[in-house]
Amino acid sequence: MSEPVSGAKLSPTGAIRGVVAAWAISVLLGALLLVGCGDRTTSPAAGEFTPRTRGVLTVATTDIPTPGFWTGTPEHVTGGLEYELARDLAQRFGLKSVSVRIVHFHRIVGGDLGGADLALDLITPTAQREQVLDFSDPYLDGAPTLVVRNGTSVADLATARTLRWGAVRATTFVSIINTLVDPDTPARIYDNTSEMLAGLEARSVDAVLLDMPFAVATANESQGRLQAVAQLPGSETIAAALPKGSGNVEAVDSAMRAFTADGTIEHLLRTWIGPQAADAEKSIPLIRSTR
Amino acid sequence: MSIAHVLPVPLAAIDVKSPTGAAWEFLVLFLVVIVGPPVLERARLPGIIGLLVGGYVIGPHGLNLIGAGNATVPELGQIGLLYLMFVAGVELDLALLRVHRREVIMFGLITFLVPMALGSTIGFALNWSTPAALLLGSLVASHTLLVYPAVRNAGLSTHPAVATAVGATVITDTASLIVLAAVSGSQLVGGSAVTIGLQIAFGLVVLVVFSLMVLPRLVRLAFRVLGTDRIVRYLLAIASFLAAATLAAMVGIEGLVGAFFAGLGLNRLVPNEGPLMERIDFFGSAVFIPIFLVSVGMLLQPSVMVEGETLKLAGLFILASLGGKVIAAAASKRPLHASFDEAALMVGLTVPQAAATLAATVIGFNIGLFDQSVVNAVLVLILVSIVAATLITDRYKRRVAVPQVDALALGKRVLVALEDPDQAQIGFTIGARVAAPDSGVIRALLGCRPTEKRVREASLVELQRVGFAVGVDVDPKLLVDASLAEGIINVAAEQEPSFVLVGQRSASAHPAFGGSGEAVAAAITSPVAILIGEAARISEVVLFDRGDGHVTNGQRRAGLAAELAARIGGKGVTVRRPGDAQSFHDLAAGQLWIAGADSGEVLAASDPPEGAALMLVLDPPPRGARADLDLIGL
Repeated sequence: MSEPVSGAKLSPTGAIRGVVAAWAISVLLGALLLVGCGDRTTSPAAGEFTPRTRGVLTVATTDIPTPGFWTGTPEHVTGGLEYELARDLAQRFGLKSVSVRIVHFHRIVGGDLGGADLALDLITPTAQREQVLDFSDPYLDGAPTLVVRNGTSVADLATARTLRWGAVRATTFVSIINTLVDPDTPARIYDNTSEMLAGLEARSVDAVLLDMPFAVATANESQGRLQAVAQLPGSETIAAALPKGSGNVEAVDSAMRAFTADGTIEHLLRTWIGPQAADAEKSIPLIRSTR
Repeated sequence: MSIAHVLPVPLAAIDVKSPTGAAWEFLVLFLVVIVGPPVLERARLPGIIGLLVGGYVIGPHGLNLIGAGNATVPELGQIGLLYLMFVAGVELDLALLRVHRREVIMFGLITFLVPMALGSTIGFALNWSTPAALLLGSLVASHTLLVYPAVRNAGLSTHPAVATAVGATVITDTASLIVLAAVSGSQLVGGSAVTIGLQIAFGLVVLVVFSLMVLPRLVRLAFRVLGTDRIVRYLLAIASFLAAATLAAMVGIEGLVGAFFAGLGLNRLVPNEGPLMERIDFFGSAVFIPIFLVSVGMLLQPSVMVEGETLKLAGLFILASLGGKVIAAAASKRPLHASFDEAALMVGLTVPQAAATLAATVIGFNIGLFDQSVVNAVLVLILVSIVAATLITDRYKRRVAVPQVDALALGKRVLVALEDPDQAQIGFTIGARVAAPDSGVIRALLGCRPTEKRVREASLVELQRVGFAVGVDVDPKLLVDASLAEGIINVAAEQEPSFVLVGQRSASAHPAFGGSGEAVAAAITSPVAILIGEAARISEVVLFDRGDGHVTNGQRRAGLAAELAARIGGKGVTVRRPGDAQSFHDLAAGQLWIAGADSGEVLAASDPPEGAALMLVLDPPPRGARADLDLIGL
């Protein structure tokens, strides 16, 4: 006589699947019900923002227009990555409008925001700047990128050294040009980016360094006259600058992290700099250095 | 005047730069990992705190050796976080969950819901947004089995109260991660509650199907095809959780949820005491998880921690978490029929906040729901919870009676002892099937007389290969002893196996009775079976059942044989009884005959036919009997 024996016991994984599935569905539904009743704006858990002017986010920057980052005129800003970022910040903090103030870059990095709540001006946090400013978590990063006139070839560091370089006063690029590139002729210093780019187009200088997203935007804007030809080793972060001791740092930090995580920054980058900005790190050649 | 001016010209030309670069950063990182835990442990504080403090020391708020702009350490920390959640899933004892299912579900629900409700209420009271309040609730509701090793070492791992608390971790951590998925989804996906719900439900279904159904099959297949190399097996485990985490991110769920589910999916393929788990534990403990903890420590800002707001938050978090866990254990005490000491031990086990709490906090921070003060308050909570858990556990583990050792599940620790390497295929196949339902581990011994050591060593590699081919992660050892039985008995005394399979190729080489297997069975308390013959595969399992209800040690031996048959043959076991037309002598190739060892037919049997095998299940000695090795006489 032959007969089947009852099968193996219910497997632990089988048991847990049933329990976990039932429990997971109820927890998920409960959480969704509550989350759905909430909103996406900030809360005290993410820091509180107190503007200098009630209901208004006041933002300092140096140049308008700055290709890709600020478009329009100082009187009538029409868009740009940093302007739209300011508008998103204002919305997150429950503020009604954004007010823009033009402040020289060297004043901003010297700690004077001209009475603004924060500055959005492609500013890289450095130890020296942190003595007079507080910085948010970064919202962009990218390698220092060489921008030259179309047709100029920069294959290696030796070629770069022979070029005439330009840089904006008080930027981190002055130091990078001097230490990393070490050009044969001293770099020419400009007061702002517009003047420097005008100098590049006018052949006063042969090459300048810009943050990668800005370099891509500048090349796009020039309609083929300028090109981003190479990147240097290392990465520079770009963050919002706040007055030293500002109580708003936590709130801006949380906002920048949220915008990075939820794709807001990526969307702004693609909208205002162009889809190629996302791939620039891979597509722009790297000049290697042993320094 | 600078030093260069006072040095001789050649020395002044020597250029010594400040340390920078990847090598310097990793050096600093590993120094913290090496030095941090022992320093704190000397101060009688948990080592994990040393990593957090070390992270602060080297981080941007400390000595700034690794600056705020550094991306390498946070990225490695992210991998460490995934690793941590993967290990949490792999290490869970699913067999215990099955045994104490009802208690686990009840306690798991209570110990999740009470702190969840308290934490969320506190969040709402602080005027936090709904997602932030819910995330706070979920992070205080989870727990990490940080003090479990101490309880396990005290011999309490199979105690019902401990098993219940351990099993409840599945419920609390899974629920916490689901709340995290819902909250982060609401922040990242955007849209209406319906859109978010659909997205997350879809994501979870995809993740569960992939992690619990597809991934185990893929990995099992890969283990068989590629897994003869230990490094490859380890990398397959790593690739598994990275794949699940990537898939999770693709469908809008946090990667760590994917890593946790991948751990649950591979739970049975990676036994807790197996060599692969040892490697996963080793690299996790040495590199990935410490780096995650150091990266979290880099967020520490003591100036913020001692601020009134942070301390107020920390106090409220502690109230929600510790208070919630105590209330849950107190509420469960009566329904679980637990004593006060057992309930206190459950509190000790469920109070520590570390892995899931940190994970949820870091995610909350990264998606902009939490600011620095919340992170620092959570770190205070973690510190307090770990210290409290250590004190509670130390006090109450001594007051809870250690359960009987014989509670070890049959497949938990299978010892396969072979005389002949040719039996490895069938021996490991049987071992794997016996161990599978209990997520057990297989240990293999190859018997060897002292004079044969060199010859037999070469067979170990082949044994390992065969093990991998049948999906067993085994690290076979030579058992050098003049008497195989005596050697096995010594190993059994040391390793306390749950089941011993003694292989002997031929019944005529040693008599089935009076041979090694019988000697082993007479001397140890674990169930023993003798395997005679070899078969390339098992196509059918035949159970020979006398049906006389013979009872030994409260367990019918026929019952044990039936249990083994069910595990090895699944639903396709054929039962034969005395008088059946077909007998032992009619065994065909691929058949495995399982019988109690005093079966008259089997006693009369010699070797099974070619390609078939015979497994004789022996009587263990009466409980409490001592092995009388002098009588073995082999």
